[in-house]
Amino acid sequence: MLDLIVDHLYDDPTALGACCVVSKSWIPRTRKHLFARVKFNTTEFRIELWKKAFPDPSNSPAHHTRTLSIHDAPVIATADIHAFCNVVHLQLSNMDRTSLFLLRGFSPAIRSLSLIHASLGDFNLICSFPLLEDLELVTLFPMKDEDGWNTPLKSPKLTGTLDFKMFWRASSVTRQLLDLPGGLHFSKITLLFSNEAAKSVTDLVSGCSGTLELLTLNFYPRGAFLSPL
Amino acid sequence: MLSLDLSKASKLKYLVFLLRLAEPTVQWITTALQTVESKSLQRISIRTHDDVPEKIGEEFHQEWQDLDRQLVQFWTTHSIRPRIAYVPRKGEEDMRDHAPRLLPELTKRGLVDLVRER
Repeated sequence: MLDLIVDHLYDDPTALGACCVVSKSWIPRTRKHLFARVKFNTTEFRIELWKKAFPDPSNSPAHHTRTLSIHDAPVIATADIHAFCNVVHLQLSNMDRTSLFLLRGFSPAIRSLSLIHASLGDFNLICSFPLLEDLELVTLFPMKDEDGWNTPLKSPKLTGTLDFKMFWRASSVTRQLLDLPGGLHFSKITLLFSNEAAKSVTDLVSGCSGTLELLTLNFYPRGAFLSPL
Repeated sequence: MLSLDLSKASKLKYLVFLLRLAEPTVQWITTALQTVESKSLQRISIRTHDDVPEKIGEEFHQEWQDLDRQLVQFWTTHSIRPRIAYVPRKGEEDMRDHAPRLLPELTKRGLVDLVRER
């Protein structure tokens, strides 16, 4: 009965917070929902605050988290991040390369990954999640060759959705995607592109030729004001 | 000229074009459609959230005529009715009022589904 009541409140953090203080026996079920989505940033949800609240990673509620968002926050030590071992949806924005390195393979359950304003070195990150299906890429910064790009030996099947906003160095990112050892198998692709990225659009479509069923094309002429659609 | 080649997408079922009418070029849609070879194609959609400009210049007008012809051809060869989804932003006029001007043949033959969203 308790589980049913708490489950019913899964999207009401205020009510869940109140449940937590009712009784110790209410805490485990409440935590499952309360920490299902965790967001870290540089202001009110700082990683330091999490570490202060849960100093022992093995005892933290991190294993309840299914959706983890990290925005512009240097990643925590390996032990801390590996406590989030059941994350399914990962959203990263404005992350430095050291942090991205620490995030490799931390949750084998990850099925969707959103990378916004990140270094192309992240393709090793992509390849470290074997069940990855969906990928969102916004403004990636490709590494130069001298930075030591290593082609991953194995890559996930990537059978879900690719949402690629081709704002910057689209051809380079596209090439790295197409070079993934497992190939691309997306069934849905959404591309925001300008004139310069037309060839990359064609290449990506060709790269998924055997699996692509839904293609959404969003063209903006270079220099045009980009209104939301 | 923007040139997309979708000929390799042999399993393609649904094709969606998001259109910004503030920049009402549609040539890229026409040229992309010309390359489609998928025998699985079931739907072509054009979606826009913008107001239709009062006047579309001669250059763009010709592009819309070409798109109109291309979509009619798709109906002829694939029996696919294009779907145009739009969100009107102001006034009473919406895509229904502009369609006869922008896509005359499709509209005249009743081959287009105009869907007002929200």
